[in-house]
Order: sequence, then C-alpha cells, then structure tokens
Amino acid sequence: MRSNGFVRLLLVVFLLAGLALAAWALFLDFRVRHEFEGRRFALPARIYARPLELHEGLKLKPAELEQELKALGYKDGGQGESGWYRKTGGGLEVAVRPFVFWDGSQPAKRIRVSFADARISGLRDAADAQVPLARLDPLPIGGIYPAGNEDRLLVRLSEVPPHLVRELIATEDRRYYSHFGFDLRGMARAALSSVTGHVQGGSTLTQQLVKNFFLTPERSITRKVNELIMAVLLELHYDKAEILETYLNEIYLGQDRDRAIHGVGLAAQYFFGKPVQDLTVAESALLVGMIRGPSYYDPHRNPQRALERRNLVLKLAGEVGALTPEQVKQAQGAKLGVQPRAASGTTPYPAFVQLVQRQLRRDYKDEDLRSEGLRVFTTLDPRVQAAAERALVRRIEQYDRDKRFGAPGLEGAVIVAGTQTGEVQALVGGRDPRLRGFNRALDAARPIGSLLKPAIYLTALSDPSHYTLVTPLDDSPFVWKAAGAPDWKPENYDRKSHGMVPLRTALAQSYNLSTARLGTTLGVEKVLQTAQKLGMQKMPPPYASVLLGAVDLSPLEVAQMYETIASGGFRTPLRAIREVTTAEGKPLNHYSLSVEQAFPAEPIHLLSVAMQGVVSEGTAQALKSWIPPEIAAAGKTGTTDSQRDAWFAGFTGDRLAVVWLGYDDNREAHLSGGAAAVPVWGELMAALGPEPLALSAPENIETATIDPQTGLLGKGCPGAVDLPFIKGSAPKDSAPCAGGVGGAVEAIGRAVEDAVKPLKGWLDRLFGR
Amino acid sequence: MRFAILVLLLMAGCASAPPSPSPSASSSSTTRQPAPGSPPPEGITVKTESIAVASILQSARADAASGRLANAAASIERALRIEPRNPRLWNELARVRLQQRDWAQAEATAARSNSFAGSDSELRASNADLIAQARRAQGK
Repeated sequence: MRSNGFVRLLLVVFLLAGLALAAWALFLDFRVRHEFEGRRFALPARIYARPLELHEGLKLKPAELEQELKALGYKDGGQGESGWYRKTGGGLEVAVRPFVFWDGSQPAKRIRVSFADARISGLRDAADAQVPLARLDPLPIGGIYPAGNEDRLLVRLSEVPPHLVRELIATEDRRYYSHFGFDLRGMARAALSSVTGHVQGGSTLTQQLVKNFFLTPERSITRKVNELIMAVLLELHYDKAEILETYLNEIYLGQDRDRAIHGVGLAAQYFFGKPVQDLTVAESALLVGMIRGPSYYDPHRNPQRALERRNLVLKLAGEVGALTPEQVKQAQGAKLGVQPRAASGTTPYPAFVQLVQRQLRRDYKDEDLRSEGLRVFTTLDPRVQAAAERALVRRIEQYDRDKRFGAPGLEGAVIVAGTQTGEVQALVGGRDPRLRGFNRALDAARPIGSLLKPAIYLTALSDPSHYTLVTPLDDSPFVWKAAGAPDWKPENYDRKSHGMVPLRTALAQSYNLSTARLGTTLGVEKVLQTAQKLGMQKMPPPYASVLLGAVDLSPLEVAQMYETIASGGFRTPLRAIREVTTAEGKPLNHYSLSVEQAFPAEPIHLLSVAMQGVVSEGTAQALKSWIPPEIAAAGKTGTTDSQRDAWFAGFTGDRLAVVWLGYDDNREAHLSGGAAAVPVWGELMAALGPEPLALSAPENIETATIDPQTGLLGKGCPGAVDLPFIKGSAPKDSAPCAGGVGGAVEAIGRAVEDAVKPLKGWLDRLFGR
Repeated sequence: MRFAILVLLLMAGCASAPPSPSPSASSSSTTRQPAPGSPPPEGITVKTESIAVASILQSARADAASGRLANAAASIERALRIEPRNPRLWNELARVRLQQRDWAQAEATAARSNSFAGSDSELRASNADLIAQARRAQGK
C-alpha cells in the first residue's frame, strides 16, 4: 500500500514535470517564432541633408562641388555605373547615384558640369544634351536610433560575398550546415579548453544568435538550457540560410562614439566605405575576426592585434579548404585597409538633428522613429553648416585667448535660414559642434538686448502720420515711472545723450534713450504685440525695461522674429524638415512652406532700409571687413548689461543668420554685439558669397531726397540721401540748402507740430472729442 | 482749465523741440549717396525663368492638372528654393493652394507673389483674382 502510493506519487511528479517541461518548451517555441518573425530589426530613422541641386547659374565653384561629392563618398576618377567623378578641363564629370526621393526614384545618370565665374555655366548629359536640373543624392547626416543606439544596414544573404560566409563558418561554427542548433563536439572542446585556459567558444551560430536575440547576458545553467532549447527550435522552424542571414545582420561589430555598429552591411560601410558586396577576402576576414571581440580587435585602436586576428581567420579558412592557399597568402599580405575613423557617432550635427527630432515628434511616435527606418529629408546645407561652425569656433577660440577668462570657455550659437523659405540651413549649438549636449541655439534663454528694437521701430513706422525714417527723436535722459514697478532710468551705451536724432539714426546707432522714450510713447504693450506678430512666442510682463531687451529668448526664437522682417512682413515658420517617407520611399508627410502676412509691406520696407543703415553707418559697420557694401545687408546688434551677451541678427538677399555669444554661467563676457558677434556673422556670410539685399519698394512707397541736417527735402544739399516714405508722409518743405524759404524756422515748426500731434490725439481721447 | 492744460502741453512741446539746425552750406562735397534699399531699377521682376525652374514648373503643372496637388506644391517649393523672389512661382503656388482648398494659404501666398510683382499688372490681376476667390471661400 505504502510503496504503491509512493510509486503513484512519483508518477504524478514525473507527469507534472513532463507537462511543465512541455509547457516551457511550448512557451519558448512561441517566443522564438513570435519574435523571430514578428520582430523585424528595429531600423533607425535616417536623416538626410538637402540634396544639392545643380543647375545653370548656380553659385558654385568646382572645388566646392568636389568637396560635396567627396562627402557623399564619390570616388575621384572611379569606375562603374555611378558613385564617381572625374575632372575634365575646368569642369567635372559626375556619375550620379540612383536615389529614391520623396517625389519618386531617380536613376543613375552621367552629367558634365562646366563652370565660369564661380558659377555653373553648363550642365549636359552623356549625349551632350542640355540638362535643366540635376539632383545629387543627399548626404546622410544621422539617425534616430533604437535602444542602445543600434545601427545597421540590412543586407540579403545573396549580397554577402561567399568568401565572407565561408570564413565565418570556418572560424565560428564548422559544422553549421550539419548540426541541429547545437554542436556536442564543439561544446566538449570548449569545456576542455576552458580547463586548459585556451578559450574557445562552443556556441554555434544559431546559439549566438539566440543569445543576442532573446536572452540577457547573465551566465547561468538555466540560461544555457534555454539557449540550447531555443536554438533547436529555431533550427526546426527556419532553414540554415534564413538563420545565417539574420545572424549576419544582427552581430555587433564595433562602436562609433555612441552608435553601435551592427551587421556586416553597416560594418562594411563603416570600416571600408564600401557596400558589403565589394568586400575582399582580407576585408571580410577582418570583420569575421572581430566578431569575437569588437573592441579588443578594433582595427582603429589595435591595428596590430586586428591584423593578427585577421590572419588567423584566413589561416583557419585555408585549413578547412574554404580558401585556396593562394587566396590565403595574398590576403595575409594585404594591408588592413580600414578607413580613417570618421567618428561621427549617431550624427556629426547633433544640434541640427535635435531640432529635426523636435519637429518630428509633433507628428510621429518616438517608437516609430526608432524602429521603422523612416527616411527624413531635411533642410540642412552641409556647406552652410561648415561655414557656420568654422566661423563660430575660430572666433570663440580667439576671444578666449584675448580675454583669458578661463574655463569653462566662452560659448556661442548660430542659426542660418533662407530668407524667403524659412528653411534652416545650419544650426550650431555650442563651441564644440560635434558634442551632443546643451543646445544653445534652441534652449539657451538669454536677454536679447537691442535685438528687440526693430519691434519698437516697426510699431512706430506702421503709423506714417506720426513717424517716418527722419522723424526727430529726443535722446535726452528721462526716468520712467509706472505704478507697481520700480523707476526705470535707461542709459545710452556710451553714457551720453545725443539731443534730437533722426529716427533712422537712433536705430542705426542703437541709442537707448531715444528708443526707450519712443517705446514708452508708443506703449510697451503695443511694442510687445508687434514682437509677437513678428514671431515671439512669449508674453513678458509689460515693464518698460523690456523695451531695451529685458526679455529672454533663444537664438531660434530671435531667428523666427527676424525671418518675418527678412521675408517682407510675411511670417514664415522656420522649418528643418521637408519630407518624410517610409523605408521603401513611400511619401508620408510633406512639410510645406507656409506664409502669413503679419505686417503690411510698407513699414517692413522702411524698417529694412533703417536696418541696412545699422550696417552701412551704425553699430554693425565692422561688417565691411567681410562683405562689400553693395551686398547692403540689414541687421541689428545686441549687447546686454555688462556685456554678458553679444548678438547679431541680420540678413542678406538670400540668408538670415543669428549669432549669439556669452557664458553659460552668465559671467560678464566683455564682448559687444558689434565687436564680437558681427565678425562671426561676417565671416560666415563671406564664406558663402551672399546675394545682395535688393529691397523692392512696395507700390505705396515713394522716394524723397532728404537733407540729413534738417530732415527736410534736400535736393542738391551736401550729403543728401534718397529715402523711402509711405506716400504722403515725406516732408513737404525744403531745407535752406535746397532753396527752402526759412527752412530752419519751418523745421522747428514741423518738429513742434510732430511733438504735439500725439498729445492732441491723447487729449482728444481724454476729453472725449 | 482745459485751455490751461493745452497751453502747458504746448509749451512742453516747444521745450523739447530740436535746437535750430544750422544749415551747413559751407560743405564742399555734394555727393549724393543713394540710400541703401532705394528701389533698384532692375532685377526685381523676373519675366522669364531659368531653364531649371521652367522644367520644374512644367512637371508641377502636369501634377496639378492630374490632381497630384501635394506633388505639385512640393515641386513649386523646389523651384522657389532656386528663385525665391520669382513672383510667378509664388503665384503658381497660390493657385495650387486654392486647388488644395487651403484658402488662408492661397490668400497669403498670392499676397506674397504681389510683394515681388513690381509693375507686372497681369500678374497682379491674377493674384487679386486668387485672393478674391480665397476670401470668398473663407466667407470674408
């Protein structure tokens, strides 16, 4: 009875254990099948720079085109269908790669580019027919990566050279094609070798894949058993080719800063700069050798070790007959042949990519961005970016040397955008453009100082019955008193008062007293409304000190405001993305150019002319050291209390740029906008060959010749200037030098009248007239 | 009382009037500098497009005609990157926006075209027409 019961109990236990094991196997089977099939590789969203569009008349030098092609990996004097260029007497012949753009796929094509006067003068195809427009493939500038910043380029097994596969099997798993997921002999050998200390892996490729794919890297018996079961299950469900292909795409092969290089497709590209198909016997042996220890055998850091490992792989492959003795000998004599490390990490342009990511997150789930392999076409212009980085870094280093303030050093930010399209062409977030970190262009909120002044002058010039470019403004000291706010006593930068000054001069010289008085006369709230219409998102409390820039904005917000001025009063949202497609090229989203008329054309025209005065005769005069006066750039300098922030925001005919310099800890920088930010701006623009700012006068604008002494009509007067006026607002009287009768007296009379006019309006309202 | 205030204010106004400017007729140089930004005589209205822009426009028009409006708009934007001050391109874009029933953008984009149109009365008329249509559609 007793023993009978014991046997029954034993039976039940065995039965239960068997059931549990079966259930466990079933569960593992479910996981293997579900994850192997359901889980495709998470592919990062790929981010591309703008494609370079070649056309006749484009401002581009041969060297610049060559540089662009080199960055794209085009080979000088290469061969084959595409991906190379050749110099031809003064021009270039380019074999343009095929590429799938947002608006369809573009086949490979051969074009011949000729140049004249630093421009493209001709564009012809192989049959010598004129080509209206040729678009190069865009430069990949980074990605939005899955967890662990895994990056890979998926390849098909058929694309992988057979010698790579043979080398892999000879080195890692000789019985791959005959085992069922595990290899007892291999395991025994591994067990033995772990005793002797001569380490050898006993895992089959299938086991390695299971380990990478499903399991955590702990070492335990349970894990080993799971690995074994899953490997067998994997072999049951899938054929050798499928498992091998997955393995080749999965394996980790190196680290590029924060980016993990996975799979032979990306490794071929990263280490050798070529597609996997083109890997030689020696090159593929190096990759195979690195599987065992990607950092230990890193050919960049440990070239000798990597070379020995590669030659061992070649020897092993020779031993099993995977390579001929000649192949082994030749490959063992080859150089490592790895490309110098580009070290771009996840992106060489972290600041710009951050802006792209923020704009993308409005429309896409983070998870999709990190896994679906979306293709993101951006507005970044690598040439403009390089110029912006160079100018900022060089100047910051120089200022650091001159000022010797010690660490942490001076910081800065630059944004460049197209004036009419709002496309962000370059963005630098700090003195080390490669560093992913605090992005000052987007996230530094700094007082903008005099950069707010254009909002004050725009408010004034929108009222032509009271204000024109020559309206005299009072630059004498004053104290502003308002209930609930401390008295405010603005001062000029030079601590002097300049008496009565014409409006355009007050802006050009950035006089604080006249500008602040003008702002308080117009009303702080009204000025802030103008700033908001320009694009400022914040609404600071309407204290008078705001008029002189006591409002904290990021360089990006400043750029948005100035963009509205540069585009003639049309608010044009700054964009970093043009289009998004699926991995296969199916269009998902087009981020279209949108405009909104925020101001009438006339006051914007007057303001722009006044801002040209800032450059031609005002606080940004230093610009003439970099760009010639006929470019007629417009802009505004900004310097804050104790010179903590130096700004310059301005535009030419084709580009708007904002430059900020200062310390992160808000130390006194002893740098002014005019002396420190202007040189960065000038150097950057000069490198790009700016288009002149040819302002077209709106219909309702007329030109009058003005005597600068009196602000009256001054045809024939010394130093007379032609200035635009909204029709009917130009002075009616002539200066004495232009034959005016009693011009001096009349000037006073008009000035009085001007001064009284706003008061009259005020009185009218006060007394309800 | 009111009168007294007025007088006071007037006096205040006088007090802050500019000092009598002394006309310096003694100046020797009488060079008249054209102010930066005074309307340049040429180069503003683009009458004919470059062949690059013309070729893009051609495909944009074909796209628009067959209802591929997003493509048409994207192509015109591509042309605008080459010639951002070409009023015809902005006009063309406004036309597509109207077809896309994006009335606000149609209106603003046509106004943008006008800002570059100079004395091109034909184009201005076309823009005025587009603006009127867009405004009607918005119930303005």
